[in-house]
Amino acid sequence: MQLETIKNIILRELDIWKKRPIYVIAPLAIMAFCSVFYLTFLGDGLPSDLPIGIVDNDNSSVSRNFVRQLDATQLGKVVRYDSFQEARNDMQTGKLTSVCLIPSGFNSDLQANRQPKMTIYINGLYFVGGALSWQDLLTMINLTSGAVQKQVLEAKGVPSSQMQGMLRPINIDLHKIGNPLTSYNECLSSNMLPGTLQMVIILFLIYALGTELKYGTSRELLEKSDGSIITALIGKFVPYTVFFTLLGMLVEVLLYSWMHFPIAGSLGYMMLDMLLLVLASEACAVFIIGLIPICRFALSLGAIFSVLSLSMTGFTLPVEVMPRILQGFPFMFPLRHYYLFEVQEVMFGSGFAGWWQEALWLLAFLIPPIAVLPRLKSAYFKLDYPKN
Amino acid sequence: MGYLKKWFADALSVCRHELKRISADSGVMVIFLVAGLGYPLLYNCIYHNGVLEDTPIAVVDMSNTAHSRRYIRKVDSTRELNVAFRCSSMDEAEALMRDRKAKGVVYFPPEFGKDIDEGRTATLSIYADMSSFLYYKNLMLGANFVMLDEMKQIKIERYSAGGMSDQEISQLIEAIPYEDNNPYNRTFSYSIFFLSAALLLIIQQVMFYGMSLLAGTAREEGRSFTHLIGRMHGPGVGRIVLGRGAAYWLLFMIIGTYIACLVPAMFGLPQRGSFLDILVLLLFFVTDCVFFATAWSSLFTKRETVLVALLFISPIVMFLTGFSWPVTAFPKFWRLFSYIFPTSFACPAFINLNTAGCDLTQIKDLILCLTIQTGIYCAISFVAAYIEHLRD
Repeated sequence: MQLETIKNIILRELDIWKKRPIYVIAPLAIMAFCSVFYLTFLGDGLPSDLPIGIVDNDNSSVSRNFVRQLDATQLGKVVRYDSFQEARNDMQTGKLTSVCLIPSGFNSDLQANRQPKMTIYINGLYFVGGALSWQDLLTMINLTSGAVQKQVLEAKGVPSSQMQGMLRPINIDLHKIGNPLTSYNECLSSNMLPGTLQMVIILFLIYALGTELKYGTSRELLEKSDGSIITALIGKFVPYTVFFTLLGMLVEVLLYSWMHFPIAGSLGYMMLDMLLLVLASEACAVFIIGLIPICRFALSLGAIFSVLSLSMTGFTLPVEVMPRILQGFPFMFPLRHYYLFEVQEVMFGSGFAGWWQEALWLLAFLIPPIAVLPRLKSAYFKLDYPKN
Repeated sequence: MGYLKKWFADALSVCRHELKRISADSGVMVIFLVAGLGYPLLYNCIYHNGVLEDTPIAVVDMSNTAHSRRYIRKVDSTRELNVAFRCSSMDEAEALMRDRKAKGVVYFPPEFGKDIDEGRTATLSIYADMSSFLYYKNLMLGANFVMLDEMKQIKIERYSAGGMSDQEISQLIEAIPYEDNNPYNRTFSYSIFFLSAALLLIIQQVMFYGMSLLAGTAREEGRSFTHLIGRMHGPGVGRIVLGRGAAYWLLFMIIGTYIACLVPAMFGLPQRGSFLDILVLLLFFVTDCVFFATAWSSLFTKRETVLVALLFISPIVMFLTGFSWPVTAFPKFWRLFSYIFPTSFACPAFINLNTAGCDLTQIKDLILCLTIQTGIYCAISFVAAYIEHLRD
């Protein structure tokens, strides 16, 4: 394995890039588009003005005040209905995140301590909107309820020094580690962008290795590298590794430096995480094309694998929710380990002690391709698989 | 009459020809079988439970009073949380969180019990692991639920010490009682909301990638389906586009019925809509998808391009269905962008029909959008095929 040979292969690959610049332009364009999409789509990370349907059967000053206050919250936007039927219809068709029913006689019951009952219907089909508007409604009801309590207690002569303790005996002081603003943007973008890159790497490399077979240039490549598949792969992969690693680091800089996503640890370690993800994804590509050295088949497999890995990371649905028998499955995906590494570094800033196991896992992905190298070599040499 | 007969015979042979090509292509068959038939099963297995229960948390009780101990017992008995660790210091709890053994910490300061005994507001602290929003949700729900319950008890004690009668107290502490219902997704199950949107998306994306793969392959080999146009008597564009579309339409009405009707039944997802209504929606949706895929697949001159360059769009299209981020919060541009995809109308329609139990009249606007979209993509498909034919 001489350096000279490797250099020649690298030059050959760069020549391919020059002839077909799509290898460079497409990943750049994809990552740019996705960055713009994920970072702008979720805006500030918390939705505002969620449509909440109100059926006010009381229409008193108190109930109107309640509706106005609810409308003034950042989360909610009130849509008024005359009948529950109409409101239900709009909730059923997904136009409302929740419906709140104010009973008739609400005000007079409230004044006479007869406990008028509010009824809330939550639209649980649209998760984020439903959960948030539910929270908004509950806060507003508790506030209104608290105001009534305060009135009565004041009338009973409770001194103002004791009032707070009477109204709110327990308070929760909430600390959100790693995402203090509860931003969906931070949660999603910091995983979807590396996820997209991983997908791009797997597909482009399967394609790069597969086209050698498809256009029958693989034998020439092998001859150029003195018949060594390892030399051929190293030479072919050096330019890609440099390119994808740079692209990945750009993603990290974009997330944690330009977008100011909170990071407890160091950006440098996240760069390392990214480098490991790039290498592991490349290894997956080699493994897939080596296992089935047919370009069309391997590409479809790579596509299925990389789409699946988005659901396997566990940043939306934690792995422990999966059936026990499937819980080992996510470990087969590099993105899962990237995510666990990221949690350690970004949320806790725990450094090497926290993520060394994930780093080892990512490195371990470099081993399986070795098993398929002989097969890939023979396919490259004999060209004895279907061309497409 | 003779022309009509000929027309159908031609279209039928194009359809048969396309079906043959589909079955002969290993790459396309992998996508149709593994992704089309397998993904729905796999996603159902992964997301089958959908509800996270007994999230392990650590408790640091510096107060160590009857109040804090009762609070901890109640937290432990909620469905959402499990007090897995009792720590003697915050450092210990933090270490457990860093090791990802505890997904949250509840901390009672030394003065907690005293504050309650002396009628002040007692504050406890919660530290939440935000790596998944479901941990956070569980911690909030569990701790808040217990807080409300505890507050009620403490208020009863304090109010009665203030000289109120039992009746007054019970009326006052719940001045406005409420009843909450979550009719469509009672436990806020992740699977119901995720899968309802994912199922139709799979139909659309699988068809799009499969058709584009084949169109690209044919063009690479210099035998695009539009070559057949020249062989027809009279204007052949209609027969070719519709005949080819019919092949996919037939295939995906079968796959679609499997995905939209059989899979939810197999996994016990809610099926509140009528079977016929869902079939009607599928008719509109699959037809729309056929023309959507035909129109876009005319862009690909190479087999691999579509998978390599456009796979990244799938998760984006998923978000554009509005299943998680509410449609009303979409930035305007992305809202317009979402109109490109049939699923942006069909997924809400399916969710409304299947899970919320709507009938067809309630989703007629969405069906209308699908129809308009079908018309536009149909026109584009015809024009694109004709242009390609002229070019050859």
